[in-house]
Amino acid sequence: MNEPLIRVTGLTKTLKGQDEPRTILAGVDLTLHSGESIAVLGRSGSGKSTLLSLIGLFDRPDGGQYLLGERDITRIAERKAAALRSSEFGFVFQRFFLLKHLTAAQNVAMALVNGQGWLPRRKRRARAMDALDLMGIAHLAKHKPPRLSGGEQQRVAIARALVREPKILLADEPTGALDTDTGNIVVEALRSATDRGCGLILVTHDHDHAAKMQRMLHLDHGVLAPAPTAVRA
Amino acid sequence: MMRLSGRFRAALIIGGQGIRARKLRTFLSMISLFLGVLGVVAAQAGQVIAHRALVASTELQMGVDGTQQIYVQSAESTGSIVMDTVAGRDDAVALLSTNAIIGEPDVRPVNEGGAPLDGSGGGWGPTMNCDPQGNCVDPNEGKPSGQAIELRVVALTGDVRQFRPLRLESGQWLDFGGAPSMAPRLVLNEAAAKGFAMYNVPAEMRFQGATANSTPRFTGVVDDGNSNPQAYVRSDELLNWMPIDVLTNPMFGTPELLAAPTATDFVETLRKKVEALGDENTLYINTISAEDMMPGEIQMMRWVFLGVSILVLLIGAAGILNVGLATVGERIEEFALRRAVGTPRLLLAGIVLAETLLTGLLTAMAAIGAGIAGLAAAGKLFGDRQPMLQNVTFPWEAGVAGVAAGLIAGVLGGLVPAARAARIPIATVMRA
Ligand SMILES: Nc1ncnc2c1ncn2[C@@H]1O[C@H](COP(=O)(O)OP(=O)(O)OP(=O)(O)O)[C@@H](O)[C@H]1O
Ligand SMILES: [Mg+2]
Repeated sequence: MNEPLIRVTGLTKTLKGQDEPRTILAGVDLTLHSGESIAVLGRSGSGKSTLLSLIGLFDRPDGGQYLLGERDITRIAERKAAALRSSEFGFVFQRFFLLKHLTAAQNVAMALVNGQGWLPRRKRRARAMDALDLMGIAHLAKHKPPRLSGGEQQRVAIARALVREPKILLADEPTGALDTDTGNIVVEALRSATDRGCGLILVTHDHDHAAKMQRMLHLDHGVLAPAPTAVRA
Repeated sequence: MMRLSGRFRAALIIGGQGIRARKLRTFLSMISLFLGVLGVVAAQAGQVIAHRALVASTELQMGVDGTQQIYVQSAESTGSIVMDTVAGRDDAVALLSTNAIIGEPDVRPVNEGGAPLDGSGGGWGPTMNCDPQGNCVDPNEGKPSGQAIELRVVALTGDVRQFRPLRLESGQWLDFGGAPSMAPRLVLNEAAAKGFAMYNVPAEMRFQGATANSTPRFTGVVDDGNSNPQAYVRSDELLNWMPIDVLTNPMFGTPELLAAPTATDFVETLRKKVEALGDENTLYINTISAEDMMPGEIQMMRWVFLGVSILVLLIGAAGILNVGLATVGERIEEFALRRAVGTPRLLLAGIVLAETLLTGLLTAMAAIGAGIAGLAAAGKLFGDRQPMLQNVTFPWEAGVAGVAAGLIAGVLGGLVPAARAARIPIATVMRA
C-alpha cells in the first residue's frame, strides 16, 4: 500500500472546561491514505470537531504524534501551519461561512487570495470557475450567497475547499443544515473528490452518509474505533 | 520578493473588499477624524503662513537670513571710518540716514519730523536742531506751512538689495555702476511716493547742515515695508553736496552696515578701527535669523490650536477604534475563515491596520484638500485687507502634518482591532 497521507498516533487533547479541565481526546490513532474516505461518527460532544481541528492544524494536540507524509507536524509553528492549511487541506463546515458581500465565484477565489503565492486575476477566475463547474453550479458564479439555496451555498463552500486542489478534505457535518436529498448531493460531491486522489474525513451524524465512505470510525471516550457493524446495517 | 508582493496584493484586494462592503461605515468614521486632521492642518498652515509673512517683512526691514546687521556708535570720526572700510567691498553696504525736506523752498513740511503722510502716526512735531549743550531750535521757526515733505534719506554705499530685497514697484532702482550724478537720483518708498503724488511741487532738497541745496531726481519707487516716507540714494551723489557729518548726524540715528555672513574680515577690520577711537566706541552686531522670528503670541496660539486639534484627532481615532472593533466583531467569521484557508495572522492584522490607515489617509487627503480650498477662499475674500493672505501658497509643512495626523489616528484606531483580528481562534469559530 502507498504511503499514508497522514498518520496520527496517540493524539490527546484536554480542554479547560467551566470548572476542571476535561480530556476530550485520550489517544486517537488514525491513518488516511490518498483517495481514501473515512466517516467519523460519535455522539454529540464526543470530540469529533476537536479532532478535525487538530488534523486541520487549527489547533495543536497536547500529546501524541501527527505525521503529514514523512513530516512530523505535531508542534508545527503557526506560520508554517497556515501555509499547510493553504496547500494541503480543504475545509467544509456545517455552516457555509460564505462572505455575503462577494459573489459565488469570488467566494471560491478568496481561498486563492490568502497571501500564499500569487495568481493573477484571470487565473483566479478560471480556477474558481473550474471548481464551481465540478460542483455543477458554474451558472451561479455571479450570484451572491443570500440568493443561493442551502445546498447551493454548501457546494460553493466545497468548491472553495477544492480550488487549491488539496490532498486532504476535512468536512465537519457538512449536511447538518440540509435536507436529506440535498445532503446526498453534497456528500456525493465530497466523495467524488476522492476519485481524484483526495483523502476525505467526513464527520457526520447521518449513517446513510457515513455508509458511503470506505471506512467508518466511531469516536467514543476520546478514542477512535471501527464503527460497530450493527450501526452499519 | 515574489512572496512579499503576493502578500501585499492579497492585502490590497482583501482590504479593498472590506472597505467597499462597508462604505457608509468607513465614511462615518472619517467625519470626526476629518475635523481633527483639518485642525492640525490649519494650525500648521497658519503658523507657516504667519512665519512666512513675518520673514518677508523682516527681510525688507532688517535683512535676509544670516545677514549681519552692524550699528556703529556715532562718534566724531565714525562716518569716515565706515566709508573708508566699506569702500571697494561688495559683501557689505553702509546705510547712512538722515532727514531731508523736499519741496517748496523755505516752508514748513506738511509732515514735520518725517511722520507718515496719511496721519496714521500722529503729528511728530518739528525736527529740532540741537547743539551739544542741549539747546534746541526749530530750524523752520517762523516759516509758513507749504508744499514740502520731510522724509528720511538713506544714503547707500552699494546695492542694499542683496541684503534687503526691496521690491521695485515702478521706475528703476539705483544704478551703482556709473559715475555719480550731480543731481542726486532718489528712489522713493511707497509712502514717500504717495506724498509726492499729493504735493507735486518744484523740488528742492534741503538737509540740515548742508551747505547747498540740490535738486533731486526721482527714478523709481520701491516697497520697503516702511510706512514712513523714505528715499534711497547713492551716498556719493549726496557727498558731492555736503560733508559726511551731515549723513552721520547722531540726531537721526547711528550708521548702519549690512554685511554678508562670510564678511568676517570686514567686521573685524571695522571693529578694530572703531574700538581704536576709545573704550566706549564699539559695534553692535545683530545676526538676522529667520528661525528666531516667531513671536510668542503666534507660538501660543499655535500650541492652543494644535492642542485642541490633537484632542479632536484623538476623538476621531477613538471613533475609528470603535468602528474598527465593531467591524472586527462582525467579521470574526470572515477572519476565522481566512485563517482556515491559510491566510497568515500577520497578514490579517496588516489588512485590518491597512484598512484604518487607508481611512486615515483618505481623511487626511480630504482635510488637506479642504485646507487648500479654504486658504484660496480666504485669499479671495480677505486678500485686500490682509496682505498676509495675498497669493499665499499652501505650505507643504501643513500637508505633511495632515498626512502624519491621519496616519497616526489610523494606527491608534487600527492597532487594537488588528491585534484582535490576528488572535481569532479558528477552531472555536468554525466548530459545528
Ligand atoms: N473551547 C472549548 N473549551 C472548553 N471546552 C470545549 C471547547 N470547545 C468544545 N469544548 C467541549 O469539548 C467537547 C467536545 O466538543 P466537540 O465540538 O469536539 O464535540 P463534537 O463531537 O463535535 O460534538 P457535536 O457532534 O455536537 O458537534 C464538548 O463537550 C465541548 O463542550
Ligand atoms: Mg462538532
